[in-house]
Amino acid sequence: MCKALHHRGPDEEGTYLSPNGDVALGARRLSIIDLEDGHQPRPNEDRTVWVAFNGEIYNHPAIRERLKGRGHVLQGLSDTEILPHLYEDYGEDLVHVVEGMFALAIWDSQRERLLLARDRFGEKPLFYVRRGKDLLFASELTALVDGLGAKPDIDPAALDAFFVLGYVPGAGSILEGVRQVPPGHLLVWDRASGALTERRYWSPPAPVTELKESPRELAAEAGRLLERSIRGRLIADVPLGVFLSGGVDSTVIAAIAARHSSKPLKTFTVGYEASDGTHDERTASREMAALIGSEHRDIAMSSEEAATRVPALLSTLDQPLADSAVVPLHSVAEFARDEVTVAIGGEGADELFGGYPRYSWLGRAPQSFGQNGGVGALVRNLVPRAKSTSPRFLRAFDLAVPRPIPERHLDWVTAGRRHERAGLYGPRLLGALAEDRVLADLERDFEESRSYSVPGSLMRLDQLYWLPDDVLVKADRAGMLASLEVRTPYLQRELAEFATSVAPSTHLAGGGKQLLRLLLSDLLPNAPRRRKVAFLPPIDEWLRGPLGALMESQIARGSLYSEGWVRADVASHLLGEHRRGEADRSPVLWPLLAGGLWLDRFRGVEPG
Amino acid sequence: MMRTLVLTPDFPPAPGGIQHLVHRTVSHAPGLECRIVTLDTPGAEEFDRAGALDVRRLPQLPAPRPVSALALNGAAVAQALAFRPRVVLSAHTVMSPGASLIRRALGVPVVQYFHGKEIGVRPRLAGFAARNADACIAVSRYTKDLVAQAGGDREKIHLIHPGVDLPNGVAAEPAERPTVLTIARMEDRYKGHDVMVRAMSLVAARIPGAQWVVIGDGPLRAAIAELACSSGIGEDVIRFLGAVSDAERDAWLDRAHVFSMPSRMPAGGYVGEGFGIVYLEANAHRCPVVAGGVGGAVDAVLDGETGLLVDPEDHISVGNALVELLQNTAQRHAMGEAGARRAEEFAWPRTAERVARLVTEIAASSAPRR
Repeated sequence: MCKALHHRGPDEEGTYLSPNGDVALGARRLSIIDLEDGHQPRPNEDRTVWVAFNGEIYNHPAIRERLKGRGHVLQGLSDTEILPHLYEDYGEDLVHVVEGMFALAIWDSQRERLLLARDRFGEKPLFYVRRGKDLLFASELTALVDGLGAKPDIDPAALDAFFVLGYVPGAGSILEGVRQVPPGHLLVWDRASGALTERRYWSPPAPVTELKESPRELAAEAGRLLERSIRGRLIADVPLGVFLSGGVDSTVIAAIAARHSSKPLKTFTVGYEASDGTHDERTASREMAALIGSEHRDIAMSSEEAATRVPALLSTLDQPLADSAVVPLHSVAEFARDEVTVAIGGEGADELFGGYPRYSWLGRAPQSFGQNGGVGALVRNLVPRAKSTSPRFLRAFDLAVPRPIPERHLDWVTAGRRHERAGLYGPRLLGALAEDRVLADLERDFEESRSYSVPGSLMRLDQLYWLPDDVLVKADRAGMLASLEVRTPYLQRELAEFATSVAPSTHLAGGGKQLLRLLLSDLLPNAPRRRKVAFLPPIDEWLRGPLGALMESQIARGSLYSEGWVRADVASHLLGEHRRGEADRSPVLWPLLAGGLWLDRFRGVEPG
Repeated sequence: MMRTLVLTPDFPPAPGGIQHLVHRTVSHAPGLECRIVTLDTPGAEEFDRAGALDVRRLPQLPAPRPVSALALNGAAVAQALAFRPRVVLSAHTVMSPGASLIRRALGVPVVQYFHGKEIGVRPRLAGFAARNADACIAVSRYTKDLVAQAGGDREKIHLIHPGVDLPNGVAAEPAERPTVLTIARMEDRYKGHDVMVRAMSLVAARIPGAQWVVIGDGPLRAAIAELACSSGIGEDVIRFLGAVSDAERDAWLDRAHVFSMPSRMPAGGYVGEGFGIVYLEANAHRCPVVAGGVGGAVDAVLDGETGLLVDPEDHISVGNALVELLQNTAQRHAMGEAGARRAEEFAWPRTAERVARLVTEIAASSAPRR
């Protein structure tokens, strides 16, 4: 299992086996703090408590001092070392002490209990499987599968959810019987009984309204907390840089980080060489880097490079992921890895500080009498069939038609993909289609958050699903596949708790992220103001160009089609339309490509 | 008797710290004949009749507070012409324009009180108030620094900590459960309710049965309740009592094992805890305190003697201090006793005497122009 995790920790490997041989912990390490003495698994003084740990604990220096003050013997400097001692003092409540991103396993040999815990936002993965009374766990699905002997089956409902959403949501996984410890949860396994108990120790607080503080006052508080968070995340014994997109989130981070770095800050950006020039954030990043005074580097990604990068990347991910932004993120991670081992990113800012315009738009749109007929049904049928109308026009048209919010939200974030399923799905997915859990789950969650405002509910849903299951998977895997650690200062407990205690209407005022924009105007008064533009990779061009051939061979030979999950004839028809320029089918084709490449790799077939 | 015109927008029966401070000062100041100019407030007539104080109230205008304050400044000048005071005590910077006019026109010296928060809200007015007074009173070293930064002359700023009411009557029995108490309006984030929630999950992990009793209400209450819920802290650990009567508040100060309010320094140049009289009130009830080691609280709490000063931004520091005091009975009692002795030094007659002495000195040193 450890070998499968080599990219996560190229520097070292260690194992612990209990005296009777029935409990084993293994770990691989990417050395970032205490390069010499961070070996794992790590015991306490009398070797009764053993810890395997993946991630970073940013407040470990302060915790270490307190532990020493209480008489614990600590020899090294690594963050892992504090955990067995912290466990002695707090038991499983140690999760309330540590601040950071982590997946941890602690074996208490005296009580014969194993504690598994995952960080608050789900930055680090942690998968597990029950086998009778036994429990197997690992930081990545690939490693876990290695330890299972026989490969589990694909879960059709999870594959259906992946096709609709572009990621596998929630506590399950793409494989039957394999589960994840959800963000902010801990799991305790009792060896004698084999019992497994799960407990939530944190979740983002629900949004509230009506506070009297001024936006300036709130921006100052956000700045105080963000600065604290960044200072903690700058601690590393290796070189460190910032991913700079030129937008508000990453510029605020880079500006604060530059103030707290003793050496000039390194910043990195990736752009795309697209025919119309619309997919490039390099110019904005250079401007911001000049204002910040960072040592800035950027690269451009061509369609040809994308074509060579995509098959290996999408097939290597432990779960399928159709977020095309993983491609440039992996590219910039590899680029930055030549100079740094740790990079700081702006993940989480949009979800916590109200960065998506749809939060406001969807809140204003009419909601009633659209569910089962009338104009709503008409539009739902028309939207996916329209061939050359611009998405912007269709969205504006869609807003005018009354529809329930969960449905509209789902179609907005997925480009209405769920309406394509009936024609596209092969026999093995028809059961999942009939069940249609994706929308039902969303409606249930939306119903639970009914007491909040619409933008508040949408922000919360994004914090609970989109953030851990897409955004953070993307950041972690893209970084780790390049052996680069991505740190995310917006995902700090206090900052997140603060952000959710501010009324969504305050966040969304003036086009969204009001507090971060105010903060930026304080940090860099001369920074140019820009409209929010999402720089997504030009996958439509890639699919018409070099990736079209890959897609074609996928449809001809790939497991996704040969095993009866997806109908090859329909996929082929859509690809044809796309390549001939009759319609932009990339929202459907990209998940098929990502899912197909992943499945081939899982089956041990040469991708494509 | 020294005729003293006291100008204040805040006076009982309206609740609040400044209201309380001005009332106790004028009630206990020896040698001063005070006339108080303030705003009308519900229940005022009864209050003034019972208190035998010379209070002149301007009817509350159906207008925003700045307009009321302006009208009150006008009323102050009119009262000065009628009362012919030897000295003016301005209890709030919003009264400084009127006080300054009286000083210039009638040659009456002015003593200006500074509390803290108002300096951050209107720094330019604070500077004006300090420059146009013969003496300033700052309630803490922190407030003194703020006045100096606003343009006040350090030589003229006198440090007089606020006073405290000593409990009378029989103290209530301590609570059976280990109890941490916080008393504060839930309005300003800097009071640290959020850090307390985080700290309580650590306290609950190490001290079974521990509870946190929260007295006070305000717009932040819903957010703090959500925060508790998100951290998995149940209603068995946190009890929000809202606003309570003085008697109930006093009873909880007797029952609690530790009083905790980790006020921090707000970001963006806003002002934090001016002094924190509530720490001394807790001490007066033999309750040791946990406070943030910043702002005026460093004057209100003697670290290691009457309580513990901690890093108010770090919930682990706060949690450890609470655990230490809850676990260590001897230390808790020693600090409670030391706190009670210290509170006596700050008891109102003494503090009012200090104010009266300063006011008298200032009046005496400036000969009347008449």
